[in-house]
Amino acid sequence: MLFRDIIRRDLKLSIRRSTDVLTGLIFFLLIALIFPLAAGTERDLLLKMVGPVMLISALLASMMSIQNIFKPDYINGYLEQMMITTNSFSALIAVKIMMFWMIFSMPLIVIASFIASTYYVTGFSIFTVVLTLLLSTLSLVNLSAFAASLTLAIRYPGALISLIVIPLSLPIIIFGSKAIEYSILSMDNSGPLYFLTGMMFFTCSLGPLVTASAIKISID
Amino acid sequence: MNLKSIYKYGSPPHYFKLSLQLEYWLLSSGITLILIGMIGGLFIAPPDYQMGDAFRIIYFHVPSAYLSMSAYACMASASAIGLIWRSNVAFSIAKTIAPVGAAFTFLALVTGMLWGKPMWGTAWVWDARLTSELILLLIYLAYILLHQSIEDRSKADRSSSLLALVGIINLPIIHYSVVWWNTLHQGSTISKLDSPSIASEMLWPLIFMIFGYTIFFAGVICRGSAGEVLIREKRSKWVRAYIEGIKL
Repeated sequence: MLFRDIIRRDLKLSIRRSTDVLTGLIFFLLIALIFPLAAGTERDLLLKMVGPVMLISALLASMMSIQNIFKPDYINGYLEQMMITTNSFSALIAVKIMMFWMIFSMPLIVIASFIASTYYVTGFSIFTVVLTLLLSTLSLVNLSAFAASLTLAIRYPGALISLIVIPLSLPIIIFGSKAIEYSILSMDNSGPLYFLTGMMFFTCSLGPLVTASAIKISID
Repeated sequence: MNLKSIYKYGSPPHYFKLSLQLEYWLLSSGITLILIGMIGGLFIAPPDYQMGDAFRIIYFHVPSAYLSMSAYACMASASAIGLIWRSNVAFSIAKTIAPVGAAFTFLALVTGMLWGKPMWGTAWVWDARLTSELILLLIYLAYILLHQSIEDRSKADRSSSLLALVGIINLPIIHYSVVWWNTLHQGSTISKLDSPSIASEMLWPLIFMIFGYTIFFAGVICRGSAGEVLIREKRSKWVRAYIEGIKL
């Protein structure tokens, strides 16, 4: 079973190369913690800020660590071997993206739920923060994976990845922040959440297809 | 024009000849139309009863805003054709459109800001249409930079074409932004053909400007893509023949 092999390999690699994952998580933590120090620590201000801060930190952190999702496998030829198997290449890429999400974004969401409480978010709103990040990181990871696969052949793709990802991810950032903000103001936030869910299905279904074709372009 | 002639003009030497022939006609007629429109818009059209002479920037703002989106649609179509048929001509057209489209987007934003400062009282608002137009500029820039950073030209062509196709999601957002979100930017003035909300003396220069800009754009693309095709085919016989023909 190739899928199981990929899952096992990615898990093993993430343990052996745990610094990659940890750097991204610490990056997220630092950005989220530096905002109150810079902008002021009043309770109302922080409650207003928490949505955008969470979404933007998650975006920056996933853009930073996504650079390692395909690059090592591209260099050592693993991606090429994946391409010539009988399985559908985009399905394999989808597995790889989901593994990246599990290894990187799930711990990020756990950390975010703790950070949210330092922003004076309480009760049910913490659950909203978690749910919003769950939906939006799935889209963000797919978008960033697309950008990473486009820039595979470039040596230092950092700034270019952000130029590609940020315009495309803007709706997710806007509606994600709205979902958290409405929940804190105890308003009905089902609208933004539905939108995020729609975006999640859209990017998770089409993202691996586009990413796979971008990788094919970079390899041949 | 049947399918065969499309294939014919997809081949670089034929496309090169055709675009050289078209270039002068398109550029000269485009510039003529723009001049007529400018004279009509800046001197003949009466001042607006509310905005005075400041409304005249519409003659530059509307055509560039319209072209910023049409140019993207052209670029994405050329990219799709290039990806499907691996056509070098289509890729050169897409690559040539990107900086021109970015320039039109920039113009649309700047003219809008110049108009917005006295009219809205602010040069920039985080209005849905302004923001989505800014995103369009960013996508153009991403396309250009991605194309420049990948060294292998064929890979650069195909990767950036994929980006152009994904970025097309932004076009309906820009177009319907004034309908979906009721924000500061006003709705369209001339697209309601049966009852346009603009006087006819003001309308005809605008139509001249729009057609002039479009034809001028086509001329610029012909010129740019002809040069691009020449660079890409620099090792082939017909380019050598063409260059030596010039020297004689």
